[in-house]
Amino acid sequence: MADHNDPNAVNSIFSDIDVSAADLYDLFGFPSSDTDGGEKVVIALTFASVPETGVFDTDMLYRILISPDPRVAREQDEEHSLKSLLRYFDAVKEKYLGPSKAAEIRVTVDESQRATVKFIDFPGGSFQTVVDTNKVLNIDTPDGHTIKAYLGGRDDAFFNDLTGFFRSINYAPQFYYVPQTMTSARELKIPKTLLELEGNDLFNFDPADPDWGYLHVNGKPNGSKRELPPGPYTWTGDRFRKDENGNYRFVYSGYDCQQGKNINGIILEIPLAFITRSPARDRIVNTWGESWVLKAADKIETIPDHPFWLENPLAVVGALKLDDELKRYKLVDTDGQPFADAGLSEREDSRQLGANNFWLAPTFVKRLAHLGWGFAPSITALGLQSSFDHDNSPVSVHKTYATAVAAFPRAKRTLFQELNMPDDSWNPKGLNIPLRRSFEIFIPNVCAIDMDTTGTWPYGRRPEDQVATRFLSLFLDMSAEFNGRKYHIDLLNDMSLWAAAPIEPKTPPNPLKNDKEFLSHFPYLADPWVSG
Amino acid sequence: MNKPTDFDTELARIDKELAGLDANVLAAPLSIERAMRYVYLLYQRASLTGRLDELTTAETVIDRLIAEVRNPSDLYFLKANIDFKFHRLSDVRRDLESDRELHDSPQGRALLADLDFQEGRYAEARAGYESVIRDERTWDALARLAHFESKMGDLDAAERLYTEAADELTAKQMRHYAWLELQRGLLDLTHGRREEARSHYRRAERAYSGYWMVEEHMAELLAAEGKYDDAVALYQKVIARLPRPEFKQGLGELYEYIGETEKAQAFYESALTDYLASAQRGEVHYYHHLVDFYADVRRDGAEAVHWALKDLELRDNYATRAALAWALYRADRIAEALAEINRALSAGAQDAHLFLRAGRIHRAAGLEADADRYAQMAAALNPRHQSFHVHR
Repeated sequence: MADHNDPNAVNSIFSDIDVSAADLYDLFGFPSSDTDGGEKVVIALTFASVPETGVFDTDMLYRILISPDPRVAREQDEEHSLKSLLRYFDAVKEKYLGPSKAAEIRVTVDESQRATVKFIDFPGGSFQTVVDTNKVLNIDTPDGHTIKAYLGGRDDAFFNDLTGFFRSINYAPQFYYVPQTMTSARELKIPKTLLELEGNDLFNFDPADPDWGYLHVNGKPNGSKRELPPGPYTWTGDRFRKDENGNYRFVYSGYDCQQGKNINGIILEIPLAFITRSPARDRIVNTWGESWVLKAADKIETIPDHPFWLENPLAVVGALKLDDELKRYKLVDTDGQPFADAGLSEREDSRQLGANNFWLAPTFVKRLAHLGWGFAPSITALGLQSSFDHDNSPVSVHKTYATAVAAFPRAKRTLFQELNMPDDSWNPKGLNIPLRRSFEIFIPNVCAIDMDTTGTWPYGRRPEDQVATRFLSLFLDMSAEFNGRKYHIDLLNDMSLWAAAPIEPKTPPNPLKNDKEFLSHFPYLADPWVSG
Repeated sequence: MNKPTDFDTELARIDKELAGLDANVLAAPLSIERAMRYVYLLYQRASLTGRLDELTTAETVIDRLIAEVRNPSDLYFLKANIDFKFHRLSDVRRDLESDRELHDSPQGRALLADLDFQEGRYAEARAGYESVIRDERTWDALARLAHFESKMGDLDAAERLYTEAADELTAKQMRHYAWLELQRGLLDLTHGRREEARSHYRRAERAYSGYWMVEEHMAELLAAEGKYDDAVALYQKVIARLPRPEFKQGLGELYEYIGETEKAQAFYESALTDYLASAQRGEVHYYHHLVDFYADVRRDGAEAVHWALKDLELRDNYATRAALAWALYRADRIAEALAEINRALSAGAQDAHLFLRAGRIHRAAGLEADADRYAQMAAALNPRHQSFHVHR
């Protein structure tokens, strides 16, 4: 009598959580300095080097989506209200759900580590080619362009004190063993902060265990987590922690947690004229990446490569129903803007929406206000001015909002202020390009590369950009001045600021440069580490 | 040299990782991460090999860690799963109630719905599965509801849910996919659709090669198709890898079915020895096999009733009621058998085997019209219900 043949027989009990090739790390995008034969844009999608550096997971499909647009001039008398913000989100929604469709580059790799690269719905049509991995190569397009490509292992171009970030948001699983079912013990209900809170023993730096929280980080030997002590997991103090010299303690150390690590990546240098028929008009190249994993049913229905493609590695495939291919895969991750997921969407699987993240607009406003109550008092305690209205709270506050309406007044300035750039180098042509604002940067979740700029964040993203620290600058009041200059997105990278601040350690939050020099030429990201 | 099977590859990966965790992984000072990884690997290995002794070893380590770890809710969840596999249902509930978040988590609620199903609370089980699916449309929750629907006779819903569950699985979960294909094949087989069952079983084999569970299901199908030599060979292969008593009983029944009674007896004896040894160790998960064994192999009604009552104490559901009814029938306690089978039928389950037994019991009670009706219902559900099948 069949009475106990339960699905539980194969329940994997949380144990499937391994590092996955589906885990997208970063998307870089910037105009190439090589303009011979016309402008080109560099796009690099990086992801976990699984199964190993330079070896691709053959069950994966990666997409880089590209949608060119003209730069939109800003209205002079624009209203800074929730209503106008929602109008913006609606316009974004129309754009990404409307008739215009993004072109895409689709990559799969076979067992012999040859990559099939499909270019779909570009103005010159669709075509595909089969190329080697781990080599710089040229792909000639049917309409006479040449695309540079590199698909393979590189050094991880992200340089970041990830542990410091997790300490700033009191993310327990970085420091403690937290059971999977204990979902309430992830971001603990302790104020987010840049400065340690007096008595926040759950997360404050432990001089007796200085490497605590640095998990699997090169150069930091202690990778162990502690047992989560009994709750409540809250904080009842009323001030930032100060040492005997009256200095605050920074939650960041400036340590590069990614040092010595590798990624696998898809790096392309694409002529703008291949992306749009109107390169002079379409100055913004919106791009984002997606990872998809083959469905189980399709794994066993694998059809051998059609002989035509093997014999004709470069061929026009417009007649093929390529979307049938995508139906065989399941979307796992998206990447457009740094920190859009980790910082603003709380890492929820259900929020992997990429350009379609306009649905999350209310969440974005609420989350930004929640972060503001944490970070802004830290900023003002250091003598800096914040864009976030925190009622001059002397210490960080843990506050959440049920509605965007309630959160908006606090975050209004953070949302609408223009983010000053450190100098004019980002705008080499001296064009009238509006400074970007946080709501425009994160919704939609795309990397919007301005072809008339250097492509430094937020006008794209260059490998050398310290985006983690620039993200924190959203909470600075860009109308304020430091040393006679307006605040800007690199202010928190300024060593003179930290040298003068009552804080230890005297360091920018994150490392100022990558652990390996970037290349000045394609593929730009550094060679992989031998042992990475 | 032959390419290793998927089973071999996964087993080797687990063993390599286990070997990498040194022998002192549980020694003080305890590294909670390493200890948890260790216990997960033990559990994974036991689930993969199907060896119950390995599951018991994993349980021992889990119990030890529960005593040492401050937040043991994941360990309690593992423990609950082991208790469920061993039919210790009251322990499952106690495990889940050890932690509120575990109890209320989708994983915990799915297991609670399984408990409801096993304890005969069918409406609650359905509501539980549906509630979990509303929150998280995971493959295993969909498969659980599919299994429920298949038992309750909504085959379209079951097939739809299994299909959706399969669509949720990726190339990184091929063993789970193979398991789902087995369920779909079994659903076909229990409704007489052998070709479809074969197709699913073959997909399971292609999805995850070298899996004993696929081979065991395929052996039953081969026997049902009358390919007895192939079936015997495959059963022997499975038993050589995993000498579980229910597989021995299955092979014994096959030998008896094809008239090789002497060979059958050897496997029966071995199976019974194992069943009784398990019961003597205080284990309860073979009670229902003992009921079937005494009722159908030994035709010993009294002994079958003895084990059926013990199983019923643990799990009062339509299947254990029907098993008791059949044991009573074998013991010539027809009036009691009739009462029990009617209680089983009242649950609403749609099962050819259940209807077949209901027909036999009603006929023995002199209720010819009802007997005919149940026999017709059995035939309608599975036109091939008389062919070889095993007790699961």
